[in-house]
Amino acid sequence: MIKSQWLSTSSDKHEENLTLHLKENTVANESKKDPSAETEAEAKHRERDEKTNELLMSLADQLVKAAERKRNPTLEIPIRTQANVNYNKSRKIIELGKNKSQRQLFNLSQAKSFMQMILVASGCKKLIDQNKTTSIRGLYYMLKHTIEGTKEETFAKQSECDPMIEDVEVTLNALREELHVYAQSRGTMVGPITIVDSGDEIDCSRMGTGGYGIPSIVEDDIVQFKECDAKFVLHVEKDTVWRRFNEDKFWKEHNCILTHGSGQPPRGVRRLLCRLNSELNLPVYCLLDNDPWGYYIYSVIKQGSINLAYESQRMAIPEAKFIGLRARDFDRCGLSDSVKINLNDTDRRRAEQIKQYPWFSGKKRWIKEIDTLLANGFKLEVEALISLDVSYVTETYVPEILEAGPRQWLD
Amino acid sequence: MGETNEESVNGQPQPAPEKKTRKRRSSAEKMAAMQKDISVGEFFHKNRHLLGFDSARKALLMTVKEAVDNSLDACEEAGILPDIWVNIVNTGSGRCRVAIQDNGPGIVKKQVPKIFGKLLYGSKFHRLRMSRGQQGIGISAAGMYGMLTTGKPVKVVSKTSKGRPAHYFEIQINTKLNTPEILNEDGNGIDIPNGEVGQAVLQDHEIEWEPVSHGTRVTIEMEAQYHRGRGSVDEYLEQTAIANPHAQIKYLPPDGREVFYHRASEVLPPEAEEIKPHPYGIELGTLIYMLKHSKSMQLTSFLSEAFSRVSPNVAKEIVTEANVRINANTKKIGREEADAIYQAIQRTKISAPNTDCISAIGEDQLLKGLHHVVPAEFYVAVTRPPAVYRGNPFQIEAALAYGGTPPVRKVSLDGLEEMLSETESRTLRQFLTTNFDGIGTSGANNIIEAAELKVRTSPSKMKPRERKRLHEAMQGINLSASQSCNVYRYANRVPLLFQPGACAVTQAVMQLNWRTYGLSQSRGSMPNGPITLMVHLASVWVPFTSESKEAIASYPEILKELRLALQGVGRKLGMYLRRRQKVKHQGERRQIFKRYLGEVAQAVHSLNGCDREDLFSQLLQVAKDQTAEADMQFDESGQVVEEPEMDLGENVLIVKSERDD
Ligand SMILES: Nc1ncnc2c1ncn2[C@@H]1O[C@H](COP(=O)(O)OP(=O)(O)OP(=O)(O)O)[C@@H](O)[C@H]1O
Ligand SMILES: [Mg+2]
Repeated sequence: MIKSQWLSTSSDKHEENLTLHLKENTVANESKKDPSAETEAEAKHRERDEKTNELLMSLADQLVKAAERKRNPTLEIPIRTQANVNYNKSRKIIELGKNKSQRQLFNLSQAKSFMQMILVASGCKKLIDQNKTTSIRGLYYMLKHTIEGTKEETFAKQSECDPMIEDVEVTLNALREELHVYAQSRGTMVGPITIVDSGDEIDCSRMGTGGYGIPSIVEDDIVQFKECDAKFVLHVEKDTVWRRFNEDKFWKEHNCILTHGSGQPPRGVRRLLCRLNSELNLPVYCLLDNDPWGYYIYSVIKQGSINLAYESQRMAIPEAKFIGLRARDFDRCGLSDSVKINLNDTDRRRAEQIKQYPWFSGKKRWIKEIDTLLANGFKLEVEALISLDVSYVTETYVPEILEAGPRQWLD
Repeated sequence: MGETNEESVNGQPQPAPEKKTRKRRSSAEKMAAMQKDISVGEFFHKNRHLLGFDSARKALLMTVKEAVDNSLDACEEAGILPDIWVNIVNTGSGRCRVAIQDNGPGIVKKQVPKIFGKLLYGSKFHRLRMSRGQQGIGISAAGMYGMLTTGKPVKVVSKTSKGRPAHYFEIQINTKLNTPEILNEDGNGIDIPNGEVGQAVLQDHEIEWEPVSHGTRVTIEMEAQYHRGRGSVDEYLEQTAIANPHAQIKYLPPDGREVFYHRASEVLPPEAEEIKPHPYGIELGTLIYMLKHSKSMQLTSFLSEAFSRVSPNVAKEIVTEANVRINANTKKIGREEADAIYQAIQRTKISAPNTDCISAIGEDQLLKGLHHVVPAEFYVAVTRPPAVYRGNPFQIEAALAYGGTPPVRKVSLDGLEEMLSETESRTLRQFLTTNFDGIGTSGANNIIEAAELKVRTSPSKMKPRERKRLHEAMQGINLSASQSCNVYRYANRVPLLFQPGACAVTQAVMQLNWRTYGLSQSRGSMPNGPITLMVHLASVWVPFTSESKEAIASYPEILKELRLALQGVGRKLGMYLRRRQKVKHQGERRQIFKRYLGEVAQAVHSLNGCDREDLFSQLLQVAKDQTAEADMQFDESGQVVEEPEMDLGENVLIVKSERDD
């Protein structure tokens, strides 16, 4: 239900804000006028926290009830594996299925993770009560301690804690951000757009060489779009390529927003791309390496990831397009043999797997693309284009492919 | 033995000597001058390793063993519950004085010199009766070793009854003639009367004697080195105490400790009976010897008189089968006929020998003995019915102790420091593996690593701090999985401390698949775990692999009985372990649940503000219910059945551990 709340707000805004001046009531504007009055963003924030608190408490109540009735306290956790992931053809996103697994307190193999989940929940409650957020690593440290009377730690390492956070998210149907926890931010944005981030106005066309670091929480109570001249978003795979485009001022010349997500983009980047797409109607074009990993990143941006399928509806961008690199580019651009990187067994296996994904399998052009990659026997990184000319990718490759239009892109 | 020089040293034929100028090195005549009797004494002098007296370390053990074995034999034969004193004193420059006393029947005055001063003199060789000693070499060999290494005579005090005086001899063996020589009082020894006069005599001559109304004390001074651990007197006495719960042993080693093994049982082993040999066990040479020395009589009567299980009918059958005249006289039987009779015996069906003559320790006594000496949580013993190998009745027993503290964890820091200062081991790892049973190389490595020491550290050069760390690491080590099984081997209640690899017992233990019984074991090796296994072979004639009586020969019949006995104890252990596993599992489950409940209650409390304590006690109750349900057993029809008490039978002893949940 929280998701739907989010969706509706987004779409409402979508309708309202067809102009480029987006929000009248930004934190930045409002707080200066009357610090005591609650802004729209603040109200939203509070409502959201109340909702989350309710969810957390219902989890606790459930447990108390079970104990009173002398039952084995049991949590039902939606399963987050490919087996429980469906591709919704009409919505074109990956959705979490209905399968749930049970986790019981009095079950030897589950007792500890049960305890850990409850701990995570109590940690989130504390964060919400204090109106603070923390990283997943921070939460881990917050909850890590020695269990009384033993030598055992509540969490031995962070990798024990992270999945518990995801379990709480899916079980409560609450998002990480709603739980006041964020993941590491690893993405950057630049371009003709002005945003407000926690009340600070940021003009993303004046970010120098570094760009605006996309935070992991970009919900509209934190980040608001103020002004935008961009016509589209170019998302590139990683920092090195992004720098090339920024240095060549590609975004100025082509009037676009330029982002990267350090490989598989983190939630903040995906959410921001999604908002740019849905709220500002900006098409999203992806420039990724020509290898199974690049295909997969595209798939995650477009349909959502298997692991976070429950987040797809607010992260996936079904209209996103894949503009390159393509397996045919080696011949088409006349690249030299030295830029080839041979496919290894894992690559081949991944490629075959991707071909099987329901959201790829029906698309002839994609199948052909992957088959060409496999036939080539090598992969290509975007940087390979540098062998032709430092700025070939920004001055020739991307402009040409954008010019050529949808028939030359992959969807 | 290399009579001629042409015989090569290593037994390989030398190339034929060249003919022409070669001079004959010796001649039959010259050699004849050198050919003479070899006295047993001289032979022993040169070949003392054959009897186990091959090193200063081993000599001490062998001496104590021979004397204690004799004492136990004598006491049992006389129906006396044995009290034994063992006393070792360092006399300096690599010498020790060993004294062993018993409360046995004593030895009559005129026999004493021969027993202690003549090799191959004894009461047990010529009879078939279960006893520890059998060859008549034991104690005189120890005496001779002492004399050869120190020049000192063997001192013997013996007293046969309350009213009679004791007598005291200092005896030396004439190695050339193998005869005893009495040194004190012009070859007469001293009589020690009862009462105060006797006390004065003892004091005058500095004779040590525990006041008993009958018994024997032998004192030997020898080149020897006292040590602890593997193959030591300590080990021998400990194992002896296990197999002889009816004996009491007071032991004073040279390091000032006092070790006292109480009597664990007041029951003397039943008297072993002497039996006639069974025809199947006899060798051709022995048969010829017996025929030659028998009175003149009919062959058939000879056979039925000299052997067990040979009725007149069976005797007739044998003689007919051998194609010898039925009424032939023993004096007329030549070599060839003897051979024919020997062959005929093998072909004739003769019932197995009477096995009454064997006195096993018995399951009850085995459990007592093992429990008394080896601390553990589970004990099981199995005594097999008697069986026969080559006509000799024998009986196998096995007992097993499981669990308990391994020896590495028992040693005190003082004790450890002492051992470190005395050890001959050059490296720390060697020190650990030789001094502590059951740890093995991997266990030793773990200890050394935990103590942050080096494997090659010299034990004697360790700093006090390092010794302390080592001690701590030894206390903390968890061996239960890697610990290898201890096997105590016994023949006629005598512990066998050497040559485990050559012994049928070791072979049988390693061939058995212990994994079936819940232990870990790599193929064809000892099982792992905190286990002490004792295996006893009792027989009228123990088939040792050599004169030093260290390993039992692998006759198929013996191996089979060993296997059955080990399976017997293994099965019970398996049942116990499975049950224990289950109990432990339940306990652990409850424990795990309990440990998380506090966390859960606290977290829930901070989520919805419920009462922490209430929730905790409710959850605890659920935990109990949950595990109780899991504890219950279901019968075939799905009905809950009451968990039966673990009843593994009479031959099992379970010691409840103190920290039972
Ligand atoms: N402590 C003792 N008390 C009474 N008799 C003894 C004692 N020690 C030895 N004897 C007698 O002396 C004999 C010789 O003992 P010895 O140890 O030399 O040979 P053994 O015990 O017959 O055989 P083995 O060589 O196998 O030990 C024994 O057979 C026994 O009759
Ligand atoms: Mg003897």
